[in-house]
Amino acid sequence: MSANPLATTVPSPMPAAHAMPAVLQVRGLEKSFKQRQVLKSLDWSVPSGRVIGLLGRNGAGKTTLLRCLLGLSPIDGGGVELFGEPMLEPGGERMHRIGFVPQTFDLFPWMKVRAYLDFTAAFYARWNRERVERLLANWELDVRQKIGELSQGQRQKLAIVRAIAPDPDLLVLDEPVASLDPQARRAFMNELLTLMRAPGKTVIFSTHITADLERADADIALLRDGRIQFTRPLAELRERFKRVVLARPEGWTQAPMVAGSLKSHVQGDHAIVLVEDPCMDSLHALATHENATMHVETPTLEDLFVELA
Amino acid sequence: MNVAWQLWLQLFRRMPVLAVLANLLRAAALYCAVQWLLGDDEFGVLAASLFGVATWMWHTGQGYNLRGVCAAESFLLPNFRRRLLEYCVIDLVMWVLLPLVVAAMGGVPHLPLLACGLLLIAATGVMMGSNPRSGAFIWPVFVVLGWMPSFVADFFKEALRSPLTPWLLLAIVALLLRFSIAPLLRIEDRQADASPLESTSLSRMQTRGAPGEPRRMGAFGKRINALYEQLAERAMRRALAAYQRSPGFQRRMLLVRRLLLPNDNPEAIGLRIVLVSMLVCFYFIAIMHRQHFNPVVVGAYAIMLSISRYPQLNVGMVRMRPNMADLYLTLAPETRAEYQRTISEALLVLAPISLLTALVYTMLGAWLVHAPDPWHMLFVAAIVSLAASLAALALHLIGPEGTTGRTIVNLVVVFGTMAVYWGGYWLVGTLGYALGGGLLALLALGFGLGVWFAAQREYVSRAPRFDAPIG
Repeated sequence: MSANPLATTVPSPMPAAHAMPAVLQVRGLEKSFKQRQVLKSLDWSVPSGRVIGLLGRNGAGKTTLLRCLLGLSPIDGGGVELFGEPMLEPGGERMHRIGFVPQTFDLFPWMKVRAYLDFTAAFYARWNRERVERLLANWELDVRQKIGELSQGQRQKLAIVRAIAPDPDLLVLDEPVASLDPQARRAFMNELLTLMRAPGKTVIFSTHITADLERADADIALLRDGRIQFTRPLAELRERFKRVVLARPEGWTQAPMVAGSLKSHVQGDHAIVLVEDPCMDSLHALATHENATMHVETPTLEDLFVELA
Repeated sequence: MNVAWQLWLQLFRRMPVLAVLANLLRAAALYCAVQWLLGDDEFGVLAASLFGVATWMWHTGQGYNLRGVCAAESFLLPNFRRRLLEYCVIDLVMWVLLPLVVAAMGGVPHLPLLACGLLLIAATGVMMGSNPRSGAFIWPVFVVLGWMPSFVADFFKEALRSPLTPWLLLAIVALLLRFSIAPLLRIEDRQADASPLESTSLSRMQTRGAPGEPRRMGAFGKRINALYEQLAERAMRRALAAYQRSPGFQRRMLLVRRLLLPNDNPEAIGLRIVLVSMLVCFYFIAIMHRQHFNPVVVGAYAIMLSISRYPQLNVGMVRMRPNMADLYLTLAPETRAEYQRTISEALLVLAPISLLTALVYTMLGAWLVHAPDPWHMLFVAAIVSLAASLAALALHLIGPEGTTGRTIVNLVVVFGTMAVYWGGYWLVGTLGYALGGGLLALLALGFGLGVWFAAQREYVSRAPRFDAPIG
């Protein structure tokens, strides 16, 4: 059985981040491809100085959302504000402050790595050459190779180098580690965390590797049904969402009703219920009433994703 | 300035030969201009002609380069549009202002007209490079030129004297740039990539964008593309249903063909023939004004059109490699050779398709030029196109994968085919249908079949490759 999961979940304010000015403000964003509506009146606010992990199932519209935010995909309705200015199309001085890693990097296959980086650097006021050289050396990217000759993982590395070289204030990453080996993934996370130590840096990070988001202590935004269902700090999610496991020898025909239940299912003689803000007293009372033993677990982010997305 | 330098370098990175050639021509034009300034009047026209060609070449390259650079992600580069504009200004100084200074020093009359003329050449080049379908904008000029030559001559005489002509040219330049550059600066959702083997054969050159280059299509192109997709989908459904009803080798082969060559189903072939025929008729009647052509030239051209898709097969097979692993696993062949044989036999269907299109185009050509002996043309076309298709298929199946090697193979095939058609036409005309035709069939089909069987044996002996192409 499944309770109505997040339909009633109201986007919750983030206490620590609330005072921060919003880097990104989205209102009523609509986007369709032919007849398929991908984003439905989406509202979202991203405060400055946070890592935001954008989660959603395949086809939920994460890439579309990120591209719409940056003006790389025309929108059908609503509005996007980046750094306080409407993002009608990418342009203006604020572009110096934005870095982007696309999901797949297949641009300029005829260019060599060095030529591509030189070409890109020419446009930016800030370009951290020391960081670029260090990452190129650490990630063993041959600057004399053509981009078309790089593997998908190497291209991903190059896209990351290019995105963080201008020391951006807003870094938008669309599944940046999907093609990286574990060493490169770890090195990338280190770079990301180093970058985030500077004040006012914001990262929006779409990924399916929830461990990375846990490591970055990210705020989690869940995209589902064309809307951001919530944006909450990871610690708050851990604190508020619990997995209640009720077990009894005779098993369950259906999971019991629990206040704050988001999702539930029966597995053997266990009834497993995901509960938001559980009231322990009533849960104990329920367990006694149902003649069941009960234990409460803190779900991992991956568990939460599986349950909620 | 650094950005302009980087943008300037792009052309040398992408099209080094064109960039060097254009600059050599410019240097030659400069030499001629100096001679002209020193008093040798004969060099004036030569300098202007060389510089005109250099300008056109350079800007065609710039247009082509812009196509690649203007991907959506490039617009995230700070002030990307403004930097392009600055680069454009520098380019104008180099290619318009400096030559004008030289012309002014030499006392050339009609300077404003010259300036606008140079701008027009540059804008035409940019448009032709940035928009492969730009011929459609230039055709009307030739239509007018051909239909009303005396009017055009008078018009040019008057235009030379009119103070409004430079303004008219400027307006045309603005229009050309609007058609060429505006679509590149527009951010649109990416179109889904087509199958690398897909060929609608609407063009002789079969130019496709580089990997990663945004696929840009106009409204008409999108509609036609959607129609092709519908036809391909329907053909695939039919093939699937037939296979499910009674699985067998032939129906399985049909499925493989529908997968590899989605636009080679009967309806799509029909659509392609209709579209090409319409284009040819328009081109022939409106632009060439039904000039008298030698039927042999028309026949050879028709065959060339029918075999123009084979280079794309070579490129497509290389780009398809990683996806072919999936087909390999689906087909689950007993041996690798069996798989290779299946693929080569699936592609063999292209030979009769090319034969059919060659015959239709030859018939059309014969009708358009009022050929005295259309059956003669058709007879030779049938033999030569089948042989040429087999040879082209064979050479592109096992031939070189590099651009240079592929181009050489293609040139050999095209010119070889045209020469054989010419020779075959003469042979049949001289020795008659039976003897000449028999001899032609023996030689041409013998060669075609021999090359095909040898290439197929070589292809089958090779291990299948599923690695991603480099570059």
